[in-house]
Amino acid sequence: MGKAEYKVMGGKLIKVQLTTKGKLINKIKITGDFFLHPEELIEELEKRLMGKSLNENILTQVIKDMMEKSNATLLGASPEDFARCIMMAGEKDD
Amino acid sequence: MTEKWRLLDTGLHDAFYNMALDEAIAIARSSNLVPNTLRFFRWEPSAVSIGYFQGMEDEIDIAACKERGIDYVRRRTGGGAVYHDKDGELTYSLILSEDHRLISSDFQETYRMLCSGLVSGLARLGIPAEFKPINDITVQGKKISGNAQTRGMNVVHQHGTILRKVEPSLMFTVLKVPSEKIRDKLIKSVEERVTSINAFLGREVSFEELKDALINGFEESFKVKLVQRQVLKFEQQLAAKLRAQKYDTREWNFKR
Repeated sequence: MGKAEYKVMGGKLIKVQLTTKGKLINKIKITGDFFLHPEELIEELEKRLMGKSLNENILTQVIKDMMEKSNATLLGASPEDFARCIMMAGEKDD
Repeated sequence: MTEKWRLLDTGLHDAFYNMALDEAIAIARSSNLVPNTLRFFRWEPSAVSIGYFQGMEDEIDIAACKERGIDYVRRRTGGGAVYHDKDGELTYSLILSEDHRLISSDFQETYRMLCSGLVSGLARLGIPAEFKPINDITVQGKKISGNAQTRGMNVVHQHGTILRKVEPSLMFTVLKVPSEKIRDKLIKSVEERVTSINAFLGREVSFEELKDALINGFEESFKVKLVQRQVLKFEQQLAAKLRAQKYDTREWNFKR
């Protein structure tokens, strides 16, 4: 299990907990005090990230694509920040 | 003619009902059963609320809450964990149609706009508050109000807290701290970063005086007239249902 916290400059706190299979994300939970609209999208995002490779650019793109498709808004964090924190958690996974 | 909004003062309720009633009002507004609404409320017993995306066990010391009879609930809005002291804190909700002239498609802009009513209310008490992005109101750099917003069903719902008096040491008995060693440090840092109406003015401001000032502030900033009304039977019944089936369930509160 890998865990990481990332405080966005001038923004909010993101926390990620994940497990991996090889270089792929197995299970992931993203928590924090950011704002995502619509809120229920977080569960869908976590599902969408399962099986994705721990590559910062790929992760950013997955998050961006999903947000665009759902007309979603993030406040206090960006897709890049989410991807950064996921990478940090991935590096700590043992 | 001045636009009329509904004013509700729902007094003291438990955390689960308070959150359920907010959602019930949003649903009633969405169905056009009620006008745009400003609601004031308080919490009995005192409670902590966490943001939609937070982990309950990450943020809250459940054992400490149980020991002190403090409730804990997940909000429908994002943002951080808040301790709602029965005697220290006033909470408000604004439930507005999304097509209202005050609402922008930009969330940040809408926070600024809706918080301007609070800022104007606080000014009436002699408190030079200002909006601080993303979602705070500060006085001389110290936080006095935190706010959170959600949208759905063509309704904007913003709720927030106004600190009348604050006791950081109590806050940290219910919020998780990374380690006991830094508890004192955290309390001290909150004392430096957070203020309250009573602390800033150096006198006791009653809830009634605070609400009056805020009502006037909202009316002036939003160019509306607030008319005191009761919660509809429909809203009460829906709130009771949402309380039992959502906000007072382990499934909702511990889902993250």
